[in-house]
Amino acid sequence: RDFYKILGVPRSASIKDIKKAYRKLALQLHPDRNPDDPRAQEKFQDLGAAYEVLSDSEKRKQYDTYGEEGLKDGHQSSHGDIFSHFFGDFGFMFGGTPRQQDRNIPRGSDIIVDLEVTLEEVYAGNFVEVVRNKPVARQAPGKRKCNCRQEMRTTQLGPGRFQMTQEVVCDECPNVKLVNEERTLEVEIEPGVRDGMEYPFIGEGEPHVDGEPGDLRFRIKVVKHSIFERRGDDLYTNVTISLVESLVGFDMDITHLDGHKVHISRDKITRPGAKLWKKGEGLPNFDNNNIKGSLIITFDVDFPKEQLSEEAREGIKQLLKQGSVQKVYNGLQGY
Amino acid sequence: MWSAGRGRAAGPALLGVLLALSLPGGRAAKTDVGLVTCGSVLKLLNTQHRVRLHSHDIKYGSGSGQQSVTGVEASDDANSYWRIRGGTEGGCPRGSPVRCGQAVRLTHVLTGKNLHTHHFRSPLSGNQEVSAFGEDGEGDDLDLWTVRCSGQHWEREAAVRFQHVGTSVFLSVTGEQYGSPIRGQHEVHGMASASAHNKWKAMEGIFIKPSPDAPGGHDEL
Repeated sequence: RDFYKILGVPRSASIKDIKKAYRKLALQLHPDRNPDDPRAQEKFQDLGAAYEVLSDSEKRKQYDTYGEEGLKDGHQSSHGDIFSHFFGDFGFMFGGTPRQQDRNIPRGSDIIVDLEVTLEEVYAGNFVEVVRNKPVARQAPGKRKCNCRQEMRTTQLGPGRFQMTQEVVCDECPNVKLVNEERTLEVEIEPGVRDGMEYPFIGEGEPHVDGEPGDLRFRIKVVKHSIFERRGDDLYTNVTISLVESLVGFDMDITHLDGHKVHISRDKITRPGAKLWKKGEGLPNFDNNNIKGSLIITFDVDFPKEQLSEEAREGIKQLLKQGSVQKVYNGLQGY
Repeated sequence: MWSAGRGRAAGPALLGVLLALSLPGGRAAKTDVGLVTCGSVLKLLNTQHRVRLHSHDIKYGSGSGQQSVTGVEASDDANSYWRIRGGTEGGCPRGSPVRCGQAVRLTHVLTGKNLHTHHFRSPLSGNQEVSAFGEDGEGDDLDLWTVRCSGQHWEREAAVRFQHVGTSVFLSVTGEQYGSPIRGQHEVHGMASASAHNKWKAMEGIFIKPSPDAPGGHDEL
């Protein structure tokens, strides 16, 4: 089997690309999502095997050299386990229909974890590995009391004399104890992700001894950046230039979030507050990563700090040949 | 960064172990020791009294009248989750291992208040009251606690102490229990000296693995 082809990645793909490809395809190829495809289970297994090998640096090396037959241990694809790293314990949400089957089953608490994310990660995407250690309800020997409730009992004390008492009555259920278990989860930070978006992991919340566990949800929180400000898919930044540069022009590079350089070349006068729009240099759009917003650069000018000498003042008057302009007006009302 | 190296190596090994098991529940083997990092959410167990640090929307009836902090025996209460954050905004980026001697804030996940102490007496034992204070994770300078541990970083397997930056007391439990409406919960307070009563261990939680490179990750591409 060609694992690279199954995942749709080049042979030089990084681990991040492989995780991203797996996550996208796993949602598409899951058998429950393709009930009419007789080969759905097989395709899904292939996907799991491909990820298992290519995500492990040792196994990937072996595969690259010797092919699938050369893999030392073979692979017992319990694909369900790989899937749960990305989506949680009990499956997944398709098109926003969570497990609403049985409202009567009690559910453990959901946990919402704020995940801080940098603008660099919003631009290029990333995977965050997280270890989830949680209590899991496991069968234990014996029985326990459950569904306890109050009931009224009527007892006869004598002819015509009755007494009503309240009694606690319980059912018997299989005994359950809480055991701590761990697994690694992979949270994907998708390019273009917005503040407040959530990534759920089904069944990874708190357990409920009489029912199902709740969910774990990661909520994206984009942190402030020292150079760029985000507005939707656009990025804003400021550049301070010298007085000379503002008058005679300049060349410069701005280093973008992934390290590539955005070149700016000015040969005209740049006034303070001037804005330069660089289309396509903003953030990728969440729904379509191929569309990018713009980078808007606002210039401000640094005036000389020391006072100018008499000579310099005369020189400047000669150079600029400007008369006196002293226009008084109400700037706050647009005059 | 040896600790990050260990974290990375464990990943594929864990995957191997998980896949070897055919149990549908996937009973996972424990990952390697691991460090506690900023941004992680966890429950803290007092090793002496076997109760977890806990808070809830119930205020003290005395002292400061702020939201109460207690110790509970249950291991499955979502109100026992606390988030580890740096002392200042941006002071501890996601995935940075917490160093021994570093000052952190512990934010109660469900109510958004920070673990806090001040010069008020605790209701049962007369030690220093420990409360939960602030709004949406923002409180004041009395929310800072120094992680006291041996070695370089806070390890998940280690029992550590939390010493308050402002008043120098240690986060402690000595066994006093409340009556109604929080029957059976233990008092959590601040005590002046280090002892077995103020050792805490990270238990259940969501632990962000130490990041292999600085955020800005040019290597990823």
